[in-house]
Amino acid sequence: MKVKKLFLMLMLAFATLSITVQASGNTQPEATTEVAEEKVYESRSIGQMLVSFYDTTGLKAIVQPQDGITNGQGQEMSIFAQSFGRIMMFIIIGVLFYLAIAKNFEPLLLLPIAFGGLLANIPIANMTSDHGMLGIIYNMGIANEFFPLLIFMGVGAMTDFGPLLSRPKTALLGGAAQFGIFGSLVGAAALSQYTGMVDFSLKQCSAISIIGGADGPTSIFIASALAPELLGAIAVAAYSYMALVPVIQPPIMRALTTKEERQIVMKSTRKVNRLEKLLFPLVVIAMTILVLPDATPLIGAFAFGNFAKESGVVDRLSNEMQNSLINIVTIFLGLGVGSTLASDKFLVVETLGIMIIGLLAFAAGTAAGVLMAKIMNKYSDEPINPLIGAAGVSAVPMAARVVSKVGSEEKPGNILLMHAMGPNVAGVIGSAVAAGVLLSIFK
Amino acid sequence: MEEINLVSEALKFMVLGMIVVFIFLAVLVQLMKLQAKLIGKYFPEKKPMVKPTVQATDEKAQTAAIIAAITEFNKNKS
Repeated sequence: MKVKKLFLMLMLAFATLSITVQASGNTQPEATTEVAEEKVYESRSIGQMLVSFYDTTGLKAIVQPQDGITNGQGQEMSIFAQSFGRIMMFIIIGVLFYLAIAKNFEPLLLLPIAFGGLLANIPIANMTSDHGMLGIIYNMGIANEFFPLLIFMGVGAMTDFGPLLSRPKTALLGGAAQFGIFGSLVGAAALSQYTGMVDFSLKQCSAISIIGGADGPTSIFIASALAPELLGAIAVAAYSYMALVPVIQPPIMRALTTKEERQIVMKSTRKVNRLEKLLFPLVVIAMTILVLPDATPLIGAFAFGNFAKESGVVDRLSNEMQNSLINIVTIFLGLGVGSTLASDKFLVVETLGIMIIGLLAFAAGTAAGVLMAKIMNKYSDEPINPLIGAAGVSAVPMAARVVSKVGSEEKPGNILLMHAMGPNVAGVIGSAVAAGVLLSIFK
Repeated sequence: MEEINLVSEALKFMVLGMIVVFIFLAVLVQLMKLQAKLIGKYFPEKKPMVKPTVQATDEKAQTAAIIAAITEFNKNKS
């Protein structure tokens, strides 16, 4: 009995609270006269109170969706997006949590993205509106492409170009892997031209195909520049597939190489002069300025981070970029991207198309890198293990680690990690260049 | 706008993109080789710089070994 009484009291308290909240919410200047009337508190029976409280619950919003409910951006939401859509999103988010926590798949980004998605799908709270937390974060750094650049700065400060400088021609492998981007661009165009399953514009095709660059920040940068409406799906696809690199790449690598080729041992790399490392970011910047100014935001931030690291005199700044700054931005980036996982935006047939094309892009990039490495091995004076071509998709340093793992499985003791880091970091530059080309086309 | 064949446009993008990416990286490769050569020729003093530090650590290790030996010896004496 006592419990029942307590429960009733609590419900009463909540009901009054919700009414006060409603009333105070209505005191906005744009309130109409009709709303102003509601401000006057009328005595109601407990039954009415319970009913009106029920109207404010998320339970009702999901179970009894209504027409005319708007999302954070003021667009009307369909009945499906309000009810089953939300439930489906909660299930998808549960899967993302599982992948991040139990499977350890890119947890640093998948977890904040998934949680952002969870918050974005809460009914009534409208967290994705311009005054909601997620909306503020989104407008602060994703709509204007700022956060990906900060991430790139941190990645630059973490990257060691030593392996690339000691064997410059492996940079071409990082170029070949960009076929993943352009090949899937054709794939996306064909999908919307001939199947009619989806209807992507060329801009949208380009934004999707950048998933093949296997580079999260670049994908988000391009998506928010060319097709912000697809950002959520593109970011989720890019990070999920990056997390799946150890699953996607090895079968392709094995299929395209012979056992002898996989067992090739590469010569150890030479020691790189510190001055070379210091000058390298400046060389890259100089080339970007001359050839592709459109890529300078990405490459400029990257080169700045790397220059700060290699200069050796601003360790405090470079440490900040590698640690605190990149961590803070990762939180914001994840939540901001998560805000685009609202059911009405994500549960569309385009998302399925993006997932398919993204997988295709990853596979094509890996294959092109491996084939290019095979060709280089044939015509080169020093042996090149074709496996390192797979590291040409960026996904630093995961792709290089996968290469090393496959290599040492074939021949224990054959450590390819340092050799694979060359194409790996070249892949970052390559995908930034590819991104610049796509941006320049749509100028 | 609707008459544009998406696939042929995408193929053009691909040709342009792959050419630019490859030229960019090929030039970068040449520049890396060039700078390695130039730096190796005109600023080679960096390499000997590395050796003394290695020696220094060796010396330190030696000193540490000597100190350890002496303390051990003193301990045994007392």
